Amino acid sequence: MRRLEHIGLLALPGLTFLAVIFALPLLMLLLKSFQIDGQFSLEEYRLFFSDDYNMSVLWRTLRVAALTTLLALLIAYPTAIAMSRANGIWLSIFLVAMVLPMSVGVVVKAFAWSIIFRTRGVLNDMLMSLGVIDAPIRMLFTETALIIGAANVFLPFMVLPIYAVLRQMDSRLPEAAASLGAAPVFRFFNVTLPLSLPGVVAGCAFVFSLAVSMYVIPSLIVGERQQTLSMLTARSFLYLRNEALGATISSILLIIAISVVLGSSWLANRLGARQ
Amino acid sequence: MQSSAGTEPDKRAYLDVVGVGKAFKGTSVMSDMDFRVARGELVSLLGPSGCGKTTLLRIIAGLTSADAGDILLDGRAITRVPAHRRNISVVFQSYALFPHLTVAENVAFGLRARSVPKSEIAPKVNEALQLVRMRDFADRPVSALSGGQQQRVAVARALVVDPVLLLLDEPFSALDRKLRETMQVELKSLLRDRDMTAIFVTHDQEEAMGVSDRIAVMNAGKIEQFATPSELYARPKSAFVMDFVGLSTRLRGQVQKTDGSVMQIETANGLVLAKGALGVGSDVTVGVRPELISPGAGENTISVTLADAMVLGAKTQLHGMSHTDDRLLCEVPGIQTALTRGQDVTFGWSVKDTLVYEAHR
Ligand SMILES: Nc1ncnc2c1ncn2[C@@H]1O[C@H](COP(=O)(O)OP(=O)(O)O)[C@@H](O)[C@H]1O
Ligand SMILES: [Mg+2]
Repeated sequence: MRRLEHIGLLALPGLTFLAVIFALPLLMLLLKSFQIDGQFSLEEYRLFFSDDYNMSVLWRTLRVAALTTLLALLIAYPTAIAMSRANGIWLSIFLVAMVLPMSVGVVVKAFAWSIIFRTRGVLNDMLMSLGVIDAPIRMLFTETALIIGAANVFLPFMVLPIYAVLRQMDSRLPEAAASLGAAPVFRFFNVTLPLSLPGVVAGCAFVFSLAVSMYVIPSLIVGERQQTLSMLTARSFLYLRNEALGATISSILLIIAISVVLGSSWLANRLGARQ
Repeated sequence: MQSSAGTEPDKRAYLDVVGVGKAFKGTSVMSDMDFRVARGELVSLLGPSGCGKTTLLRIIAGLTSADAGDILLDGRAITRVPAHRRNISVVFQSYALFPHLTVAENVAFGLRARSVPKSEIAPKVNEALQLVRMRDFADRPVSALSGGQQQRVAVARALVVDPVLLLLDEPFSALDRKLRETMQVELKSLLRDRDMTAIFVTHDQEEAMGVSDRIAVMNAGKIEQFATPSELYARPKSAFVMDFVGLSTRLRGQVQKTDGSVMQIETANGLVLAKGALGVGSDVTVGVRPELISPGAGENTISVTLADAMVLGAKTQLHGMSHTDDRLLCEVPGIQTALTRGQDVTFGWSVKDTLVYEAHR
């Protein structure tokens, strides 16, 4: 009992901080979205969902987040496998390569990308000189550029959880599979992949939540032309002065984030229970 | 193998390990390893921890590649065949059951990997689980099993694919003594019934003697002796084998006189007679098995004070201490209460029972 009290005491500053800075404003925001003139009402939500433009922004946000997650997963999985087998200096190089880019601000990265992606940029020049394309293609301000950029920024959040799970896996398991006659591909799909799923789920949850609510990256890469929910939120608060709309979109984002967290931990639990 | 056959091809060999060498990061673990097993034989690799048993097993299985030498199975070189095409099953020390699969799915794994038709898998899995008395557990997750049960599943999983060779790396080491003995008996008869060729790795000499037709005693990456359990016990080829297989009394001495068949060896406890023809002046280690020593007279005798008399049930162990503080061990059958701690007795044994090894400096 005494120990619990101590733990409570130690956690007090952190809990207070989170309550005042994080939970309280969110709660107020949530309340605001559910009332009009002090009365409980779903009117704001009805208005939001009946607007075609808002719906297109919602779908784009979800689509971009899903594709970003998928792209990050495809790049991260082989990387995580390589890392889980690396040792010594190579492992250090991998870990630094994962963590270092996080310390470079997104703004700096976005400017770097614009050099690569713009109409007369490095990538277009390269593709034209290789004869892949005849005329420069528009890359900046497209959804594709946004997805590539976002996947790049969020990659470590996908690699690290998968790496952690693979690293913990008993290396005898693939060997046992081999001695039982399983070829490499069969081994991968029946041993390595299923055992790494908890890491995959965690990584996808991370990246999807980050991608759904990202603001700086789309602002810099696609600009105002293709809004996402976060940009719409900011616009409602800062330019439209429509606090009710802002609160509603924020709440929708919050609900998406909570569903992802709950859904993924449920899935991870289920996967974990089998093991 | 240090037999007179040398490295000449052995017609009877089923598994033939020829001149295998392996080093990890420049440190040699074994070199020029020769090791032959006949079809249907149960063989043990016995040796202290770190002597290279697991490494040899992994090289045979194809999980580790050898730096030099060849592996032949039934006359065919498999040195470059990947593990999944060797049809050699391995039971790992930690069992390595697949944690995400049920008992039945674990056993079915090798059959699925071999693309055995679905309709044939279920009956085979059933039969294998029946064999290890685990059929009632077919649908359990493996994490819900005890150590002994996990081991049974690992054995069923290894046998269901009808391997050409079964390798077991310290399969009983995680089990408690009682269960270990039961499992040893069960597994041995199971393998015999199927005419399986199997290699057990162990560091427990009693286990090796119990389960195998022949034992290869390994030390520091070399096989010191490869022989039947009784041969190994009665005529150990080196002091290491004598020490590792069974208990014995050890004394140090020097050959003083020899007539070509019997040597006089000078020890701190007086002269000891032994068969053999080592050169005069050789430093030697002398050993005697405890059950060959008896209290009373003999061709060789040493006076001792009893430090302890331990009644172990089927036998009584007498621990003698000579005036030079050398320990001598004597075992007499049955319960012996006439001799007690502190008594002065004479330990005696026959000349032919003295084991002699040239001492390495
Ligand atoms: N993968 C490895 N890398 C480096 N050294 C190893 C490796 N595997 C085994 N060794 C070394 O080889 C020696 C023999 O190991 P092992 O075959 O596991 O012995 P045993 O099974 O007899 O206990 C040990 O000194 C061990 O440290
Ligand atoms: Mg070992």
